[in-house]
Amino acid sequence: MIDKVKNFLGLDIKAKKYALSEDKVFGKIADERKPDKWVFSTCGYCGVGCGLYIGVKDGKAVYTKGNPKHFVNMGTLCPKGLSEHQMINSPERVTEPMLRKEGKLEPVSWDEAYSKTAETFKRIAKEHGPKAVGIISTGQLLTEEFYTLGKFVQLGLGTNNFDGNTTLCMASAVAGYKQSLGSDGPVGSYEDFSVADVVVLVGANIADNHPILMLHLNKNPNKKVIVVDPRRSKTSQIADIFVPLKARTDLALFNGLAYMLIEQGWIDEAYIKEKVNGFSELKKHLENYPPQEVANITGIDVKTLYELARQYAANDKVTTAWTMGVNQSAMGTDTVSAITNLHLLTGKIGKPGCGPFSITGQCNAMGTRESGFTSSLPGYRPYGDPAVTQEYADIVGVPVDRVPTERGYKYAEIIDAIERGEIKALWIVATNPLVSFVDQEKLRKTLAKLDLLVVQDAFMGDTAQIADVVFAAATWGEKEGTYTNSERRVNRANKAVEPLGNAKSDFDIVVEFSRYFDGMDTLLFEGWKTPGDAFEEWKRVSAGQLCDYSGMTYELLEEEGGVQWPCNAQFPKGTKRLYTEEIPFRTGDGKAKLVSAEWMPMKEPVRAGFPVMLNTGRTVEQWHTRTKTRSIDILDQLAPEAWVELHPEDAKTLQVRSGDRIALSSPRGRVEDVVVKVTQTMRPGNVFVPFHFNTQLVNTLTQPEFDPISGEPNYKQTAVQLHSQNVPEGIAMQETEISGALAHERCDKAREYRYEKTKEAR
Amino acid sequence: MGQTPLESFITHKADTGMQCGSYSIDLPELQAGEQYRFHFDATACVACRCCEVACNEQNNNPADIKWRRVGEMEGGSFPDTLLMFNSMSCNHCIDPACLIGCPTESYIKFDNGIVFHDDDACIGCQYCTWNCPYGVPTYHEERKIVTKCHMCHERLDVGQSPACVQACPAGAIEIEVFRPEEWLEGAIDAQGNMPDLVDARVTNATTRFTLPESMPETMTAVDDYQLKPFHSEMPLVFMTVLTQMSLGAFFALLMGVFFSLFGGQEPGWTMAALVLLPAAFGLPLSALHLGRPAKALSAMKNIKSSWLSREALALGLFTGLMTLNVGLYLISAPTIAKLLFGGMTLSVGIYGIYAQGMIYQITARPSWNRKTTLLKFFGTAYTGVFLLAAAALMLGYDAAAMPMMALGMLAALAQGFFTYEDRRDLERKSPHGEQLQRTKRLYTEFFPKQTRLRTTSFIVGALLLPLLAMVVLSLGAQGVAAAIMLSAWLIATGSELVDRFLFYVTSVPLQMAGGFFVGKQR
Repeated sequence: MIDKVKNFLGLDIKAKKYALSEDKVFGKIADERKPDKWVFSTCGYCGVGCGLYIGVKDGKAVYTKGNPKHFVNMGTLCPKGLSEHQMINSPERVTEPMLRKEGKLEPVSWDEAYSKTAETFKRIAKEHGPKAVGIISTGQLLTEEFYTLGKFVQLGLGTNNFDGNTTLCMASAVAGYKQSLGSDGPVGSYEDFSVADVVVLVGANIADNHPILMLHLNKNPNKKVIVVDPRRSKTSQIADIFVPLKARTDLALFNGLAYMLIEQGWIDEAYIKEKVNGFSELKKHLENYPPQEVANITGIDVKTLYELARQYAANDKVTTAWTMGVNQSAMGTDTVSAITNLHLLTGKIGKPGCGPFSITGQCNAMGTRESGFTSSLPGYRPYGDPAVTQEYADIVGVPVDRVPTERGYKYAEIIDAIERGEIKALWIVATNPLVSFVDQEKLRKTLAKLDLLVVQDAFMGDTAQIADVVFAAATWGEKEGTYTNSERRVNRANKAVEPLGNAKSDFDIVVEFSRYFDGMDTLLFEGWKTPGDAFEEWKRVSAGQLCDYSGMTYELLEEEGGVQWPCNAQFPKGTKRLYTEEIPFRTGDGKAKLVSAEWMPMKEPVRAGFPVMLNTGRTVEQWHTRTKTRSIDILDQLAPEAWVELHPEDAKTLQVRSGDRIALSSPRGRVEDVVVKVTQTMRPGNVFVPFHFNTQLVNTLTQPEFDPISGEPNYKQTAVQLHSQNVPEGIAMQETEISGALAHERCDKAREYRYEKTKEAR
Repeated sequence: MGQTPLESFITHKADTGMQCGSYSIDLPELQAGEQYRFHFDATACVACRCCEVACNEQNNNPADIKWRRVGEMEGGSFPDTLLMFNSMSCNHCIDPACLIGCPTESYIKFDNGIVFHDDDACIGCQYCTWNCPYGVPTYHEERKIVTKCHMCHERLDVGQSPACVQACPAGAIEIEVFRPEEWLEGAIDAQGNMPDLVDARVTNATTRFTLPESMPETMTAVDDYQLKPFHSEMPLVFMTVLTQMSLGAFFALLMGVFFSLFGGQEPGWTMAALVLLPAAFGLPLSALHLGRPAKALSAMKNIKSSWLSREALALGLFTGLMTLNVGLYLISAPTIAKLLFGGMTLSVGIYGIYAQGMIYQITARPSWNRKTTLLKFFGTAYTGVFLLAAAALMLGYDAAAMPMMALGMLAALAQGFFTYEDRRDLERKSPHGEQLQRTKRLYTEFFPKQTRLRTTSFIVGALLLPLLAMVVLSLGAQGVAAAIMLSAWLIATGSELVDRFLFYVTSVPLQMAGGFFVGKQR
């Protein structure tokens, strides 16, 4: 009562709560949250891999501060990183394992959750074979956890129907690297952004998605930035040259540039002769991509195209970086290869400031690629080579027949297999398909067919809500291990606080769960107590491979602020770049391959009924499906719901203004109540909607079209219709001049060719 | 391997001079006459909003208190579109409007240039939040005071970089040293302005902006579509109308005394007490809008530059003098004494209402910053004349009632004219025509009912009913006339309250561009 009166009269201005106090590490900070200790760690959001310290007070995470000594972020953090401690205590957290009982998820003991799940897995394996259990994992765990999970799934459960959400994200980069360079593994370093003469950003909106990379661009005193994007993104504002190509014409663009490089003799013949195969095939193939044809396809005039090609020749150091604009494509793998072609043709790879550079989406998409048993055996080992299979079996001491010899279903194929009734149980780890996968209505129906859906997650996301079993997982800050960032830097993440409630680290969950499978724990995880034990085995497994961890220790990782693999006796402090003089390409003959890739028009182009091209993407304030960020007020207030970016012409047709609400529809469904943002950043007839929001679930519209090699969905283009209150029927199709006429003709041929290639890739 | 990460960081700082990322900052010692300021590079900013979150993390502020905000603007057409961002906290002006207007002297311009807010002295009157043309000071509901950016002065003092500077990965925010007189000599015009912001000369803002070399002619804020009414400030709605009523009533009272010299009936103490009541009731009400009503009296501290202090002092005095005035009537003081004392009281009251009106003559609020505001504040006094006329009728001062009613109606007509002018004037072409247009939209789109109510009630209460009362009175039906006049007073007062409510809610401040969803965050 006294407090209330005092408060009313304004006698208490809470000066203490808002006072600062001196912290010996970070200087003046908020006194109320002055930590008892700072724990060295690495950010758990995106693939940039920022070093940070977690401030802990009374056993709770209270601060996140960028590590000024860390090369990647030099003390800075993005808004999500700066508020990451708030994520740990989110009200959306799952704190107890749960079982669905009489239709409702009820908290249960771990033992009950494990045994119920193990029983069902075993019954299904017995009745339908072990491959009737599918697993969809993530890019969010620590490398040690990925290795442990993969080992258990492939060798323990004996199913290779195991994939990760990385297939929605980086798979095309993985497959492209393999196709061109012989192995997965990003080539360069962030340092290349700082020393390159030209940085080309393709389908990469780093301002929203990887803002900390701005640091490295800004360190570059003579930076020249070229942004290739159908949308006038925030990132395009820093561009010296902005290339507003038409949606999904990137592969044609890069083939066209390669044509011009060869035509003009702007290539490094000596390098090609020594290090590259496939030149004459490529040259012949590119005859289909003369400049005028490419100009027609891309909408970029011939003069600009030559200017772009010239940039690759006239500058010593060129880095081409891309993210989802390239990867999330039905031609993603080939586009990655087409980008790589430019660097191989000009010899601009494996040198400072040079190379193709995939910027990773998730904090440890790289870790799962290296160690996770999905797209390859651990250590980028190919499936199916008996010697390699034996080698792996010998290193870890398991019978060789337990080691899988071929890749199972990819993400979308797992979903299809559930649809067909082939997969009966699905175990989803730290991902939320019910927001992130394409064609949501179909997915929801498909998941309902499962006998058992297990979701292992730290958050009660949309998918966890329909699960039969929920394994309550710890999240960032509550567990330890390593993350690998986009530039192959292995960063140490430490545990700062105990997991909330009864949650357990994903490492603990997998190891404990394995005990319910008759001896699997002793076969696979004998003596494993901490992630460090997995790390030791992983070091042995990776030794001699491209992603060689053998020279790493946790201590070294902390001292150095992360180490870029390969790290071994030859490179004790790691390696800045791959494919230098010392590191040959990972092909049989050590030569890279120029890939002759075919651009194809879209399978689902804009047409009458669906005349508008929808692009999806992200915003800096939210993370993926918002399970982590939606309860962080400062982030959520900035972007509380989805919006649709619309060119003024289209807004006029629909008779809407910014702030009005419209619906979007595609052949697969309809999304209501999306707020309009009228903007000149869009090309007329193109719209953009962020995919984060389950409230306006834009993946209801996106199409199940996948890259035939990587299996990555073509998220970035969907033909849609827009419906406003005044114009409910939407926009009429505007017939435009047909571009890329020749391409249409060769489309069918190209498809055949690509499916052949898919088989090869298997 | 070359450099360790730490070495790399140190070299990078040395090579580039970039302040971002660094928790410590190498600024030269300030020489005499030098100050700190912000530099914001709009060509580097990508609106990642690190600065916003870092600021809140540093200062422990809740999500809805943002000292630093990022605004977004757009111009040109695809593909030659310019997105421009403005990350702004406080511009640490050389002539800070917040400081000049603050009644409690809670703002201090440090020698190093920082405009510092003294939390302890603040009473939460929020006048600075009206005054600042950038919308910088923000009221902190939990703390009951206004808070704002202080350039992390405690950090700067010990060589640490402000949180926003430290956090910016694009190196777009920096602390610079500059000389105010050199800045004012001309650089301010070239480098102190940013689209969507008021001319830097208005408050002599110190932030230096680096803008793109060429810009489209118009840059539109992405939150332009948002239109939000301003707070209704109910305590102030009542306080202003009631004090203005008292002034009118007192004037009428004094006229009555004056005319009694020529044989009129001299008003009695009840009348004198009555004129006091509205102010006596309304003035303390104003304390309710303060975050810290217990400290209301310190609002009189800054009479040298704050119209709010002057108003508080003058109206406080006016009310006090009116109280003493009742005493003169009680002791039946000589008429001349009443006139002299009343004249003095009235002058104080007039000055008080003038000061009250001047509070709103501020650049940051174009719809307030007009002559009609002052005129209408005085115009509202007619309700006081009505009050006294109704009282005169009820208490049997028939002879005095008629001239009072006539006087009241004349004043009401004037008020009607001022109100009409005030609305018409929104169409005026002015540097802040955009804000005036938005004010107009608030009237028509958000408050059409209230606007109609105001007009109708004014016609009825301020014009028709008093006229009727005069007719009825001339027919000799004094009781009926009294009843009619009382209703006229009530309705007219209601009408003025509605008008005053509209005055506040339709105010559209000068501001920075906001964010698409969050708008201007004030």
